[in-house]
Amino acid sequence: MKEMQKFGYPIFFAVMAVLPHLLDDRWQAVAITFLIFTVVALSQDIILGKCGMFNMGQALFFGMGAYTTAILNNEFGWSIIATIPLAILIPAIFGALLAGPIVHLRGDYLLVVTIGFNIVFVQVLQNNLGGVTGGPNGIFGLDSLSFLGFDLMSQVAVYYFAFIVLLLTLWLMRNLAGSKTGRAMHYLREDQLAAESIGINTRIYKIFAFSIGAGIAGLAGTVFATQYSAVSPEAFEFIQSVLFFSIVLIGGSSVPGILLGVFVMFVLPEIFREFATWRYLIFGFAMIAAMILRPRGIVPATFGKIPKFLIKGGSHVE
Amino acid sequence: MSNNQLILTDVTKRFGGLTAVDALSFKVESGQIYGIIGPNGAGKTTVFNCITGIYKSEEGSVNWRGEEIRGMTPYQIVDRGIVRTFQTIRLFSQMSVAENIMSGRHIRSSQKLWHGIFYTPGSKRDELDNWHKVEEQLDFFNLGEFAATPVGSLPYGIQRRIEMARAMAVDPTLLILDEPAAGLNDNETLGLLETIFKIRDKGVTVLLIEHDMDMVMEVTDYLTVINFGKKIAEGTPAEIQKDPAVIEAYLGSEDDDDE
Ligand SMILES: Nc1ncnc2c1ncn2[C@@H]1O[C@H](COP(=O)(O)OP(=O)(O)OP(=O)(O)O)[C@@H](O)[C@H]1O
Ligand SMILES: [Mg+2]
Repeated sequence: MKEMQKFGYPIFFAVMAVLPHLLDDRWQAVAITFLIFTVVALSQDIILGKCGMFNMGQALFFGMGAYTTAILNNEFGWSIIATIPLAILIPAIFGALLAGPIVHLRGDYLLVVTIGFNIVFVQVLQNNLGGVTGGPNGIFGLDSLSFLGFDLMSQVAVYYFAFIVLLLTLWLMRNLAGSKTGRAMHYLREDQLAAESIGINTRIYKIFAFSIGAGIAGLAGTVFATQYSAVSPEAFEFIQSVLFFSIVLIGGSSVPGILLGVFVMFVLPEIFREFATWRYLIFGFAMIAAMILRPRGIVPATFGKIPKFLIKGGSHVE
Repeated sequence: MSNNQLILTDVTKRFGGLTAVDALSFKVESGQIYGIIGPNGAGKTTVFNCITGIYKSEEGSVNWRGEEIRGMTPYQIVDRGIVRTFQTIRLFSQMSVAENIMSGRHIRSSQKLWHGIFYTPGSKRDELDNWHKVEEQLDFFNLGEFAATPVGSLPYGIQRRIEMARAMAVDPTLLILDEPAAGLNDNETLGLLETIFKIRDKGVTVLLIEHDMDMVMEVTDYLTVINFGKKIAEGTPAEIQKDPAVIEAYLGSEDDDDE
């Protein structure tokens, strides 16, 4: 595990940094999808993995970010980059508002409520609420990326946009792990009563987790809208939430686990395209096997780091 | 006036038809080691739950330093300097010993929510300061060698020590221990006694439930004995040992406790 962190990450980042230059158009698109879905899965990990809240509606926040970008660009002519702050903020605020009344619910109830939210959201999009969501067809013909007057039309530009968003997300998650806020999330997931009895207002941290999870998913939504120059409701259906949920559960609440999970769920199907309909059957069985053999995920969470000066001789670290 | 008093007045807690705590009153003075004893199911743990905000008593008052804390949430009560341990150990079992103790620093830390997103020089300093406080507790409870070990893999006796270290990391004014000696061997119990005296010497008031009569007699300054949720006696250990009601209700029922 240690070795992997020392060499694995630099190698991973180096490969990802040059990757688009090694791929043709189709595989560039797959790589972008991989990056975007990794970001969404990481955002889901904050809620489900770190806090242990059974949120089955992460596609809602992903979609809210995507539609924010699409509407602001299409209706109001904002550049894609200019939509970013609101594409983060609106889902983040909604995340907090939706979480407020439900975070005290037990796991299974929370799960059902979040499914409900997701379904309502998609219905709202399909019924073209306020005349801005474009109904079942969604919104298309968005502008391409532009920054400081440069047009960044190419797919490679979108790839690097997605890559920067992933790096930002990883940086944020690392910060979270080394802070009071991030630890509070771990504590409440492990034992809520013990956490409260040691002075943690667990409710605040649960709502906050929903809020940052939603904000990050919203940002991923902006990238998604940019990749396709379009948004439509079916991309944010509840079944997508199920996939994000499964990735965190199967991968384990860790970055390598989630990368692996997204790879298996979204990239492998592309590689084995010939098998078409068979692939989900195979993945279904792979999911079942993974959960039986490794109930805490393929690469389980290792909790926050402790400073070196505390590790004395005799301690055994994994 | 010593202002660190805990005063319970007529505290009553019911579960359906069962009155687990029945109009119980007692007063813990600053600097005391105060014991609550009573047979199984007497309502001892329930009293602690009423003090620490896990349950709200239906009637009565829980007054701490002149403030009514009945009805406050557990974290509000911790914020006022009262911290507890559990009869059945409740640690964050997948996390390391150091991280477990760090949870006790939560309310003392000055970090805001958003410091979880990005750090400031102030939040970094706060983080480091608190880890140093954890180091103090690791040393005090002789847990240094286990700092990085997940607590779930450690023996019971050590887990008890970790739970106390976690509580002490809060810098409490009143430490509440629910059967701290349960499951410990003689050697570990001796170590525990020493630790409790050292904690008192730091100026912390200690309120504890204990089953082990020898230990109660040795460690406490003052005792309340309850049975069926009601107080049946109170006094110094010497007085309690002679009290016929106590012998009847408690010592009498426990035939093989002495060794
Ligand atoms: N949450 C609860 N719901 C219903 N009854 C409860 C609850 N908690 C405790 N009781 C009951 O209240 C009574 C007192 O229980 P309590 O745990 O306070 O006893 P105790 O003195 O701590 O006993 P022990 O020495 O076994 O720890 C018991 O009869 C118990 O069954
Ligand atoms: Mg008890």
